[in-house]
Amino acid sequence: MRLSAIRAVLNVKKFGPEDQGARQGLCAGAYVLIFFAMSIIVARLWYLQIIEGETNRKKAEDNRLRVVRLQPPRGKILDRNGRLLAGVKPCFNVCIVRKDVRNMEELLGRLLPLLNEPEGPVRVRLKNSLQQPSYLPAVIKRDADWDEISRIEARLPELSGVVIEVTPGRKYPYGSIAPHLLGYIGELSQADIDANRFPGARPGDLVGKYGVEARFQPQLAGIKGERKLEVDSRMMLRRVVSEVPPVAGDDIYLTIDADLQMAAEDGLGDEVGAVVALEPDTGRILAMASTPKFDPEAFARGVTTEEWKVLNDPLYRPMRNKAIQEAYAPGSTFKIIMGAAALQEHVVDESTRFFCNGSFKLGRRTFRCWDWRGHGQTDIYKAIVQSCDVYFYNVGLKLGVDRIGKYARGFGLGQRTGIDLPGEQRGLIPTREWKLKRFHEPWQKGETLNISIGQGFVLTTPIQMASVIAAVANGGDIYEPRFVEKIKGPDASEIQHFTPVKKGHIPVSERNLGIVKNALKGVVQDKRGTARRCRIKGIEVAGKTGTAQVIRQARRRQSEKMAWKYRDHAWFVAYAPADAPQIAVAVLIEHGGHGGSAAAPVARMVIERWFQLMAPKPVIKRQINADAIPVISKPGFIKAKNV
Amino acid sequence: MFDKRYIENFDWWLFFSVLGIMAIGFINLNSASAATGYHFQYKQLQWYTVGLAVMFLVMCFDYHVIPSIALHIWVGIVILLVLVLFIGKSVGGSQRWLSLGFMRLQPSELAKICIVMVLSSWFYKDEREQYRIRDLGVPMLLTLIPAVLIHRQPDLGTSLLLIALFASIVYVAGIRWTSVIIVFSGVMAAMPLVWKYLKPYQRKRIESFLNPESDPFGAGYHVIQSKIAVGSGQFTGMGYMKGSQAQLKFLPEVHTDFAFSVWSEEWGFVGDMVLLSLFTILLVRGIAIAQDSKEPFGTYLAFGITAMIFWQMVVNLGMVMGLLPVVGVPLPLVSYGGSSVLTTMIGIGLLLNVRARRFMFH
Repeated sequence: MRLSAIRAVLNVKKFGPEDQGARQGLCAGAYVLIFFAMSIIVARLWYLQIIEGETNRKKAEDNRLRVVRLQPPRGKILDRNGRLLAGVKPCFNVCIVRKDVRNMEELLGRLLPLLNEPEGPVRVRLKNSLQQPSYLPAVIKRDADWDEISRIEARLPELSGVVIEVTPGRKYPYGSIAPHLLGYIGELSQADIDANRFPGARPGDLVGKYGVEARFQPQLAGIKGERKLEVDSRMMLRRVVSEVPPVAGDDIYLTIDADLQMAAEDGLGDEVGAVVALEPDTGRILAMASTPKFDPEAFARGVTTEEWKVLNDPLYRPMRNKAIQEAYAPGSTFKIIMGAAALQEHVVDESTRFFCNGSFKLGRRTFRCWDWRGHGQTDIYKAIVQSCDVYFYNVGLKLGVDRIGKYARGFGLGQRTGIDLPGEQRGLIPTREWKLKRFHEPWQKGETLNISIGQGFVLTTPIQMASVIAAVANGGDIYEPRFVEKIKGPDASEIQHFTPVKKGHIPVSERNLGIVKNALKGVVQDKRGTARRCRIKGIEVAGKTGTAQVIRQARRRQSEKMAWKYRDHAWFVAYAPADAPQIAVAVLIEHGGHGGSAAAPVARMVIERWFQLMAPKPVIKRQINADAIPVISKPGFIKAKNV
Repeated sequence: MFDKRYIENFDWWLFFSVLGIMAIGFINLNSASAATGYHFQYKQLQWYTVGLAVMFLVMCFDYHVIPSIALHIWVGIVILLVLVLFIGKSVGGSQRWLSLGFMRLQPSELAKICIVMVLSSWFYKDEREQYRIRDLGVPMLLTLIPAVLIHRQPDLGTSLLLIALFASIVYVAGIRWTSVIIVFSGVMAAMPLVWKYLKPYQRKRIESFLNPESDPFGAGYHVIQSKIAVGSGQFTGMGYMKGSQAQLKFLPEVHTDFAFSVWSEEWGFVGDMVLLSLFTILLVRGIAIAQDSKEPFGTYLAFGITAMIFWQMVVNLGMVMGLLPVVGVPLPLVSYGGSSVLTTMIGIGLLLNVRARRFMFH
C-alpha cells in the first residue's frame, strides 16, 4: 500500500516545523495539568483515608451499628424473712434514636399528642441526651402506661426514630413501706453527670438517690449488658454482632421485719414522728418508721413541682428521716441516765429521799415539777415511776453538768450511733466549754436543772434513745444500729453477712442498772406509773415516758389547748419482756403532747405485734377446725367468738 | 494492507493499562453487585469484550477518513439525542436511554467521542494558526447543540463535559491568550444567569455540595456517605466484599457513579494508588500520542480523547471525594454501563490508531 496515495486521497496535512514547537509546549501544559490533578486527588485521598480515616471508619460504624442497652434487673430489697419490699417489674420507655430522625420538630409534633406528658420535661430529656452518641436511644418518657404504648405502637411506621425499650423498673409489693430506709431511685440528673456521682450510668438510667437504694447503689445496680446489631441503610437487621448479657444486681436483705414495720407505721398513723425498734442483743433494727411518708414510685416516674413543694413542707418535712436526721429534747426519758449516773456516783442510793412539794427553788428562781401537787417523799423508784422532776433537780445539782455530760456520752448520746445512712444527726450534750464557745457566757446552775429533766440544751435523736434503752435492756452493751443483714448475689449465694458491732459499754454497774431497770418496770406496771397505757397482757414491759417542751411556758397549760406546732413532743422508750428483753423501742411523736398518752400506745402496738409474730402459731389445728365447723354468716357471732 | 509497523508501533503500555483498569472494574463490580443483588459484573464483562473488539476494529481503518464523515457523525448523534428526548426511557427522573431491543443505548455517552471527532475534524480542516473568539462560532455551535439537548434530559454533567472537551481541543488547536481571558471573565459574569436556568434539584446538589451537612438525609446524603466510605478504607481497606458502606447500602449507586467509593472502601489507599497509577499511564500515553503525531488531526484527536477520559475521571473522583458537586459522570471503564465502555473503547482504539500510523510521514 502506498502511503503517498492515501495521503493524496485524504489530503493529509503535515505539521510545519514552526508548529512543532507550539505543540510540544501545549502538550507539556497537559502533562502539568494531569500531574496537578493527580496530586490533588492523592492529597484528598490521603486526607480522607489516612488523616480522617479513623473518624470516617467510626462514622461508618455509627451507620451500621445499633447498640441496644440491656439493663440489668436491679437487686431486690427484702426484709429479714425474705419478704419482698422493693422488687422488679418491666417498665416500658419511649425512646428516640436521634440518628434516625429526619426532622425532630416534625416528629415531636406527631409524638407528643400520643404521650400523657407535658412538652417541657420531654425537651429537657432530649437535650440531656445530646451528650451521648446519636445512635443510642434517649429515654423521653419513662414507664409509659399501656394506653400510650399501644397508641405509639400502632403509629410506629410514621414515627421514624422512635423505639420502645423495655427496662426493669421498681415495684413495691407493700406500697410505700419504710421509704426513708429503703430510699428511692430516680433518673440520673445533669448534676449527677457533672459530679460523676454514678460512674457508668447514662442519661435516662435510674439510680439510687436516697436510703438503702443510694447506700448500696453499686451492689444493687448490677452490670449493664449490650447487644450490638448490624443494620443496613433501611434499618433492617442484618445480624447480631455481639451480645454481652447484663448481670443482675445483688439482693439486700434488711434486718427489718415487714409486719413490724407496718405496725410501727400504722401506730404513728397521721401523727408526725418516728419509731425505732431494735433487737437489744445485736443492734439489729427491726423497724424504723418516720412520718409523714413519701411514695418512692413518684421519684422513678419524675416528681412534679407541686409534689416537691409538699415533700419539702417545712412543718412536716416528709423527706426527713426523723429517726436519725432530727434531734429533739429527750424530756424525762433522760432521767434513765440521770438515775444511773446518780447511783453510780454515789450521789444517792436506793433509799435516798427528797421531798417534792411541786416546785424547787434555786436562788430567786422557782423550778416546777410537772405535777403541781407534788410527789411528797420520793426515792429513786418513785422518782422514775412517777417521773418526779424535783427529785432529779436535787440529783442534778449534786452531780453537776460535767458528770451528767460524762454519763450521757457514756450512753452514746451527743455522737452519731454509726448507722450506715447519710445525714445522721449528732444531737447535743452541753458542756461548760460548749456554752462558753457558743454563747460567750459561763454555765448557769439553772441550766443544770433544765438538762437534769432532759430539757434545755440537750438534744437526742430517736435512734440514739433506742440505742440507750437497748443498752439498758441488754445489761449495758451499746451496739451500732444495723439495718442490713446480708447481701446475696443474683445466684442466691451469700456475698456478705453483717455481724453485730459492739461499740462500748455504759459506765454503770450491774447492781445500779438493776435498780433503774426495776423502776422502769414500775413505769408501766405500777398503778401510778406514767406509762400504764403500755401494759400488755401476759408480757411485762419496762419503759420511760418523756414530754419535751417546744416553747418555754410561763405557766403550765394543757397541750390540747395550744396550737399544734407549740405542743410538746411526746417520747416513750421501752423494752420487753422486762426480764429477758427481745425488743427495745423508741417512739417520738412531734407535738403529740404527753409521752404516756401519745407515744406509749404506739410502742405498745409495736411490742404487741412483735410478740404475736414471735409466738408459735397453731396453724394446722385451726384449719381442721375451720373445716369441721359449718360456716356461720351471722357477724355478731363471729365477733363474739373473736373476742 | 496490514503493515508490520502497525505491530511495532502498537502502544503496549496504553493497552495494558486499559486491561488493568478493566480487571479492577470487574473485580469491583463483583463486590458492588453483591451489594445490589444484580449481576452487573457479567454484563460488564460482555461489554468489555465487545469494547475490545470495537477497539481492534477501529484500529483497522485509517483514522484520516474521519474528517470526511464528520458531518454525518454529528448529524447522526444529534438525531439520536433528539430521539432520546421524545422516545427515550426514563430512569430516576432523567430521560437518557434509547431502547434498541438487545441493549439500551445512552446517546449522551456516544456524544462525547463524537464531539471529539467532529471538533478535531473542524479544526483540522480550518487550519488556522491561532484562534480568536469570533473564529470559533461554528465549533461552538457544533458543541452547544448536543450540549443543550443533553442538558434537557437532564444531564448537567455530560453537557458540561462536552464544553470541557470543546475547551480542550480549542486549547490544543491554539487560541490567543487574550481570548482565553475574555471567555473566562464572560463565563464568570454569566454564572448568576446559569444559576437561574438550573433545575431545582441541580441547584440543590450544588448547595449541598457547598454545605453537605445542612441536609444530611436529603441532597447531601450521597456525598456524606461516599466520603465516609472512601475514608473508612484507611490505608489497606476494609477487605474485599467487606465494605460496610457499600454492602449495607448506605452508599448509593455503587455500580455506576460511586463505584470508586466501593473500591476505596474495600482496598484503601493502596488500592486507590494502583488504580490511579493505571489511569496516569493511560493519560500520559494519550498525551504522548498526541505529541508524537506528525500531523494536526492526529494530535487533535488524541488530545481530545485523552481529555475526554481525563475530565470524566477528574469529575467522577472529585464528586465521590466531596470536592465537586454530584453530577452523573461515570469513571471510565470502572463504572458499569455499556455505552460508556463502548465510548471509551472507541477512543482507545482511535488513540492506538493514531499511534500506529505515525510512521506514515517518515
